[in-house]
Amino acid sequence: MRLILALSILFYWPVFRVSPPGPLATSEDLFASDTLHDVHLYIHSRDLQRLRSEYLENTYFPADLVWRHTRVRNVALRSRGGLATRDSVKPGFRVDMDRYTPGRTFLGLRAIVLDNLFQDPSMIREALSMSVHARMGQTAMRESFCRLYVNNEFQGLYTIVEDVDEPFLARTFGRDDGYLFEYQWQQPFDGGPLGAAFGIYRTLFEAKTHELAPNDELYVPIRALFDTASLPDDVVTREDLERYIDLNQLVTALALDTLLGEEDGLAGLHGMNNFYLYRDAGSTRHSFIPWDRDRAFKLIDSSIVDRVYENALTRRALSYGDLFDRYLRTLEDGARMLSSGDWLSAEIERLRALIGQAAYADSRKPYSNEEFEAAVQFLREFATVRSARVLEEVAAYRGGR
Amino acid sequence: MASIQGVLTTAIACGLLSGAAYAQQAAPDLPARVKMTWDERPSIRFGRIARVDIRLTLQLDGRDSEVPFDPDESRASWARKRAGVEGVVAGLFGFQIEHDLGADGQWRDVYVNYQQFDAIQVQAGQFKLPFSREQTTSPARIDFAYRSRVAETLAPGRDRGVMVHGRVVRNRLEYELGLFEHDGNNARRSGADRVYGGRSVAARLTARPFRTVRSAARTLEVGAAGVWSDVSEGLPSLKGETPFDREFYDPDLWVLGAQRRQGVEFRWRPGPFSVKSEYIRLTTERRNQSVEDTDLSPFLADGWYVSGTWILTGERKAAGPENPRRPLPRGPGAIEAAVRFEAIAFSSSAPDKDDGEPSSSPRADVVRGNRLRALTLGVNWFPMRSVRVQFNVIRESLDDPSQGPLPRQSSFWDRVVRVQFHW
Repeated sequence: MRLILALSILFYWPVFRVSPPGPLATSEDLFASDTLHDVHLYIHSRDLQRLRSEYLENTYFPADLVWRHTRVRNVALRSRGGLATRDSVKPGFRVDMDRYTPGRTFLGLRAIVLDNLFQDPSMIREALSMSVHARMGQTAMRESFCRLYVNNEFQGLYTIVEDVDEPFLARTFGRDDGYLFEYQWQQPFDGGPLGAAFGIYRTLFEAKTHELAPNDELYVPIRALFDTASLPDDVVTREDLERYIDLNQLVTALALDTLLGEEDGLAGLHGMNNFYLYRDAGSTRHSFIPWDRDRAFKLIDSSIVDRVYENALTRRALSYGDLFDRYLRTLEDGARMLSSGDWLSAEIERLRALIGQAAYADSRKPYSNEEFEAAVQFLREFATVRSARVLEEVAAYRGGR
Repeated sequence: MASIQGVLTTAIACGLLSGAAYAQQAAPDLPARVKMTWDERPSIRFGRIARVDIRLTLQLDGRDSEVPFDPDESRASWARKRAGVEGVVAGLFGFQIEHDLGADGQWRDVYVNYQQFDAIQVQAGQFKLPFSREQTTSPARIDFAYRSRVAETLAPGRDRGVMVHGRVVRNRLEYELGLFEHDGNNARRSGADRVYGGRSVAARLTARPFRTVRSAARTLEVGAAGVWSDVSEGLPSLKGETPFDREFYDPDLWVLGAQRRQGVEFRWRPGPFSVKSEYIRLTTERRNQSVEDTDLSPFLADGWYVSGTWILTGERKAAGPENPRRPLPRGPGAIEAAVRFEAIAFSSSAPDKDDGEPSSSPRADVVRGNRLRALTLGVNWFPMRSVRVQFNVIRESLDDPSQGPLPRQSSFWDRVVRVQFHW
């Protein structure tokens, strides 16, 4: 009997040895915006040195990611961001869960982005902006803040951003088999025709799904979208255009960019920027997915029609009376939402309190603590005046019509 | 410290010069007649002073496969075109010099062997490290068109070095012990990050325990071998390829530290039959290569083969079917049937862990490797001396076809016909 008992203990020892699992975490926990998370990355010292010296490259390096008590081994890590946001001291990171382990996800996610908050001294614009989009019922990435440690060394305050990929599409569109393209800014683009050759489309619209599909399959609908939007009014009907673009969604997204004083969005200061295009499989109709809104809450005094008529696509959309009404209504609803119970001001204070200590401790950020406070102060002013100005202008447009 | 290359060059030069000097001394007592013979191959005899045999190997392949060929890849191609000389000088020094024919040809065996005593001989130059029965057997004499994957991939192949070897205990035991510049050309690949073994020590011991017994067991041979070297930090040169050079595993993982090859071999050739088998295991340390700069479990490649042959026309395998009893046109020549099972696998020796999901990360503890298993059926036809025609059909299966030549197909056929002329 003693022998059986001893053998049983030996047999079941590996089971006893494993620490009891805590409550199962979900992606909602990772993106809980009321929590300042701690994320640890472990990367070989030589790889880290290379990553820092080759931060302009998209070279992947192996790493382990630790969040709470979960270690995700063998993730793929690379420097990320546009030219303006890449940095060797405080690099932004993209973390792929499945690059080295096909099919593997973490909390249902194939990848996350660790945004270095390089362009935003307030460090909360992006999170605030996505929060507004989500509250307005629009497609938005989930985000949360974290203290990032690399090899146990504090790297600074980052945001954890949900990647726009198949799991994101499944969550937001209910299916993940569609065509997704990330817009790559090359030079100011005003939504006009891009010509017949596929090369420019490949450059501007990088396929994130169906990457190996032929050009015809990927880009004919996009070409048709911009060609159609630029045709004269007497040639193209609204139905023609709606075959290639969800106009309601476009106008709503545009209105939110305008409301939030975004200077680098759909009608940005330098043309269209920071968006994904998505269309369902078997469809030619696209939707815009806003992305990287760290330059929102900038244009505090901008008119609600600034630049929206400089873009062929938005100009065409707003030329339809019902869509212009929708644009005004979205601005109005959004402005009321921001000011209702001082929601935006409260949100700014909540996030400021959440990240303040970590932001101060972040010695790698490219701005001083004073600049951080000044930027937050500007957001407070934005929250105070923007809604009223937008509502005033909307009323003026309504009255004038 | 003089390089191994320098030592070898000197050793070869000394060997040849001393042989020539001995020959000159002995010349007055020996008839200096030069004679050419055509026994098994063209051979020039300098009286009793020296013998120089001409060697030539030509192998032409016709291939077919379920895997599509690249546009620039030919179905008919030369597998080998080699020419050289081998011989003995003054009964003291054996030598062999062999080079590929063609513009991009390379030197193959280039060595001299001091062989005055059976029990202790010294060989220096470029030659195969003493490891793996099949790898050290001439390609003109192996039972299949292609060597087993394990012998071709994991055995070191040729390098420059010095080796002491000999036969003892009434030729029942053969030993080989050598020091080499690197760990052989099979383990080399171009690429800045690719690394291979540095100075290598190789040893092999083979035994024919029943050699003097008059029974079927007298041709039984067993052996064990090892090669020890160190690799610097980098990605291994080793990779998994099918016989038709289709890649099925490329280890993009960091290694550093000791590299060890261990092998055991078995061969038995009773009458017209033969059975051969080998197991080879190669481990490469990965010191300080984890994401936390700690050690990872060693990279592991291992494999085996078992093969059998039967000479249907009755020649004895140990004597070689290359000399058929009834060559064309008097008879059908010698005909041999052959079969081989083999496997080669790449992985790591990481212990099972709760979160030990295999990964292709360059710093994964549990490596996402691959395994190839193959069955080869063959017929060898020796219509006359020096000529052989081989027909091989190979069925290959991959554990992870996504890394192979047909990502959605785990098994595929290769076929090859090889025509060989060999002196």
